[in-house]
Amino acid sequence: MIYRVTHRTGYKYSLPASLSQNELFLYPRDTPFQEVLERQLVITPTPQYLHSRTDYFGNIAHVFMVQHPHNELAIRVSSLVKTKRPLTPSPEATMPWEKVIEHLASHPEPQDLEAQQFVFASPLVSLSSEALKYASPSFPLGVPVLTGAADLVRRIYTEFAYDKSASNVETTVEHVLMSRKGVCQDFALVAISCLRSLGLAARYVSGYLETLPPPGKPKLVGSDASHAWISVFVPDFGWVDLDPTNNLMANETYITVAWGRDYGDVSPVKGVVMGGGIHELSVVVDVSAQREE
Amino acid sequence: MSDNVLSGSIASQKKIPSLFDAISCPESSYCEPFSAPACPRPHWQSLLETLDKRGLATLASDHERAKRMRHEDGATINPFDDLTEQTTSWALDMIPLPVSAREWAGIEVAVKQRASLLEKILADTYGPQNLLKGGKIASELIFANPNFLHSCHGILPPGNRYLTFYAVDMYRSSDGRFQVLADHGANPAGLGYALENRIVMSRLFSELYQKTQIRRLAPFFQTFHNALIKRSSLRKDEAGIVLFTPGPDSPIYFEHALLSRYLGYPLVEGQDLTVRNGKVFLKKLAGLEPVEAIFRQVGDYECDPFALRRATSSGVAGLIQVCREQNIDVVNPLGSGFIETPALCTFLPDLCRELLGEELLLGNRQTWWGGHPEGLQYILNNMNILHISSAMNRHDRVDQTLDLHAALAASSAKYLASDPIEPAAIPAWNGKEVSASSAIIRIFACATENGFSVMPGGLAITASDTTILLTDCPEKQQSKDIWVLSDEPVEPFSMMAGLTDIPAFKRSSDLPNRVADNLLWLGRYLERAEGLIRLLRPVFKRLSGEEKPEEVPELQFLLNILQAKNMIPKLSATGISFSLEVHKHLQNTLYRKDRAESIVSILRRVQQTARNVRDRLSIDSIRVINRLENFREAAGVEPLDLLDQTLFTLSSFSGLAMESMTRGLGWNFMDMGRRIERALNQAMLIRVGLPLVCSDSHNTLQALLEVSDSLMTYRGRYRSSFQLAPVLDLLLADEGNPKSLAFQFNQLAGHVEQLPHQDERRFASKEERTVLEMQTAVRLFDLSAIQCGEEISGIESLTSFLTTIETQLKNFAEQVSAHFLTRVPSTPHYAIAGNHSL
Repeated sequence: MIYRVTHRTGYKYSLPASLSQNELFLYPRDTPFQEVLERQLVITPTPQYLHSRTDYFGNIAHVFMVQHPHNELAIRVSSLVKTKRPLTPSPEATMPWEKVIEHLASHPEPQDLEAQQFVFASPLVSLSSEALKYASPSFPLGVPVLTGAADLVRRIYTEFAYDKSASNVETTVEHVLMSRKGVCQDFALVAISCLRSLGLAARYVSGYLETLPPPGKPKLVGSDASHAWISVFVPDFGWVDLDPTNNLMANETYITVAWGRDYGDVSPVKGVVMGGGIHELSVVVDVSAQREE
Repeated sequence: MSDNVLSGSIASQKKIPSLFDAISCPESSYCEPFSAPACPRPHWQSLLETLDKRGLATLASDHERAKRMRHEDGATINPFDDLTEQTTSWALDMIPLPVSAREWAGIEVAVKQRASLLEKILADTYGPQNLLKGGKIASELIFANPNFLHSCHGILPPGNRYLTFYAVDMYRSSDGRFQVLADHGANPAGLGYALENRIVMSRLFSELYQKTQIRRLAPFFQTFHNALIKRSSLRKDEAGIVLFTPGPDSPIYFEHALLSRYLGYPLVEGQDLTVRNGKVFLKKLAGLEPVEAIFRQVGDYECDPFALRRATSSGVAGLIQVCREQNIDVVNPLGSGFIETPALCTFLPDLCRELLGEELLLGNRQTWWGGHPEGLQYILNNMNILHISSAMNRHDRVDQTLDLHAALAASSAKYLASDPIEPAAIPAWNGKEVSASSAIIRIFACATENGFSVMPGGLAITASDTTILLTDCPEKQQSKDIWVLSDEPVEPFSMMAGLTDIPAFKRSSDLPNRVADNLLWLGRYLERAEGLIRLLRPVFKRLSGEEKPEEVPELQFLLNILQAKNMIPKLSATGISFSLEVHKHLQNTLYRKDRAESIVSILRRVQQTARNVRDRLSIDSIRVINRLENFREAAGVEPLDLLDQTLFTLSSFSGLAMESMTRGLGWNFMDMGRRIERALNQAMLIRVGLPLVCSDSHNTLQALLEVSDSLMTYRGRYRSSFQLAPVLDLLLADEGNPKSLAFQFNQLAGHVEQLPHQDERRFASKEERTVLEMQTAVRLFDLSAIQCGEEISGIESLTSFLTTIETQLKNFAEQVSAHFLTRVPSTPHYAIAGNHSL
């Protein structure tokens, strides 16, 4: 599939903001199953300073600064991304999960070592006996790692309620695990905490998902949103993306932007402003399928 | 353990008792001063002799002298945790720790090697990570280590130097060899205290210090500075180098201020710095000034709240981005705290061979890491004798009541274990006599063009109890100066040379907004304290006189003013109980710490603001300010005496400020604060006092002049009895009386003219216009209309005039703040990923 993705972030300030500094993870990266054909970043007002780099995890980050007083800030990224259905191993054929732990610890291949960094606690993902307890039913002894992960994702999907009001940037994994409600990033972080508490490697993926309108209704522009899911490491294969919010294995309707240890490594927009008073945030995302050439 | 007493006395052969007879070295530890009983090591000999010759009584007074010097220098630890408590002085034990030239040569080589090794490890960790990929360093050390900062990976520091300032803690084991306890990367502490120790010691034992060949510390600071200049290719005289401190709340702020003064780098806090166009700037009154290098006293995580997502106000948002752009030299580069990872030491012997092709000269105490299978096995087998600590974070305490077997089984890589140690025994002065203590030493090194340079000296940390010695609690430890002896004559270097002048901002005369703000308030608090004391003094004087208080006519006048200032409540009692009640309220006015406007509270604020800008004040001024601590309620202390002393101290400070502060913007702000406060106080005194003046004009007018500190001026000028018109003229309009309103306005006008202007036109700014209005109003005000007669006439016009002046003064203060001192709050914002409609 080819998708045109536009992601617009706007801030309106009650008082002029004199200085605004932001870091963006909004450019989709290339992956084995995704090719980025085009991407463009437009910031208004035009920043006095803009810098882009590839980060530790291979994502594309932008840092910019607007250094004169402004009442509004708009960040618009538009990209054209070609996706294909990811290869996924047959779950029951994957390595038993206890073996995966040993495999990661000994990390015979470079990709195993690279995966091992996603085994440990990270700033927003704690490892806990609660997470381990929640994960255990999905991982009886000898269960293939992907079978267990898929079951865990299914249970989160079934047992957790989608509730926008229950979540903000401060929400911790422990809290979500207790309250059993949240949004996509919370479910992703819970799943990661469970998998890592077992000793498995799991990373956080930030991106988009094409949403289809109800049958017979036209698709509304801007009805999409940024999305988050997880990726689990399967030795001798690689990473497999799973979406706890929708209980799905990622398919060609998933567009990856960036991945990291947790949300903090790849938050789409983070910033700090001087002044500005109270600010009002709006995010509009539009994912539209293009006709294949 | 039975102590095999290695008691020693250099003079014992001659049977002359020595001060050092009493100390004993346990058999299990190395004895620093003596090689055998009564046999001092050669490099201790002359020191022990000199101290013995000085004798107990002299040493005791030396001890007191050293204590006073440190107190006057403000050398404290942890002083700002609780302002109501006495500050803890930095404890210096005056018996130094000598190190022979030969031994030092060995230490120097070993420290250089270790620093080079650690720098190479940093370069790899924040670069290609070959050690990780090649399995030379355990992956946990990168992946599960909070000391590794992902956002700093790939940053190339100036001159490719990943470690530019290094400190190492060592102890001497029983075999006489030094072993490492900890490495310090990010922002090693203690350099300033080592400097302070040396300054005090060289003054205390000046003769001994001069005649012994002791390596000087000053050349090291020179080397540090030159290397920094060179690395960042800065121009020597115009370098934009700042010393970055978390601020006066830091327990070791004293050290930051001292280093700032000594090195001549302005002391700045996070809010003084800002990032524009990928560069760092210092916010000053006249605008932004580029900063090219930062000597930071701030931990890795507190440096950049933006990149590291921290809710801290101490950092500089965007600093890491500036490092990425290679536009700044930060000492040490961000992320260098990695070398402080405790478990790293278990890899060093192998890494030294790998990276330097050498054997590690300076090893650690015996340490086992749970992440190594054999280490874990050893730990499990010897758990009862080992000390278990955190493998990744030096500051994490491991709960020793934990089921460690279970904890190790669950996550062995989190733990590190080490043998108990017996640090070397040294003689210490405990205030009364010489006693035995044990010591560890902290040695400092800095990067130069040719590897590392080691400071010949350092900080010895001592405690009589090994547990206290090894825990991080400086308030319970003592310190010693380390004297590195030289075989050759040493170059005379003055330690004080760098301290005599207050570092002016090199490139222009203006100063950071925060400093200006603090100086303005320092001026205000000083004047507020002085004004209140001048008001209280006559009250106490009259209360302690012969007459019955209720029969002193002007007492009521003074008490009324105190009431109008909300300093005391309305009084109801009469007779003897009147006097008691007044005393009770006055005590509160002096000593109540929970009252914002009591003398003690105002003095606290004077001290606090002075400390905030201590790098701007001369050492003498700081000493004077520190004396304000003596203001407290105590038996046998007459309030009147205390007020007199305090007024004297405040006047000394003002005198010193007049004499020693350069007439730059700093002075302008401090004096403006003073003038604003004095004018406010004066206007208020007259407004409140006037209605009472006519009822008993003689005594009351005299009291009014006394409170306004204008009595002498009046007598000198008028040589007549007290009359309303000349008194008012003197206090309001007389431009020659330094206490008059008119005088304050003229001074304010002068200061405002000195401030940076954007508009060349005069009187373009609000504050200029406000001052002009006040100046004109006081000149034009008709005092002849005010008379005391059967009834006072013209009083309403004076009252409303003074009320207007008071409002204008407050406006003026706000206008100056708004124009020059505004601090805009900053807020973080995040877009929430989950904010979608699925």
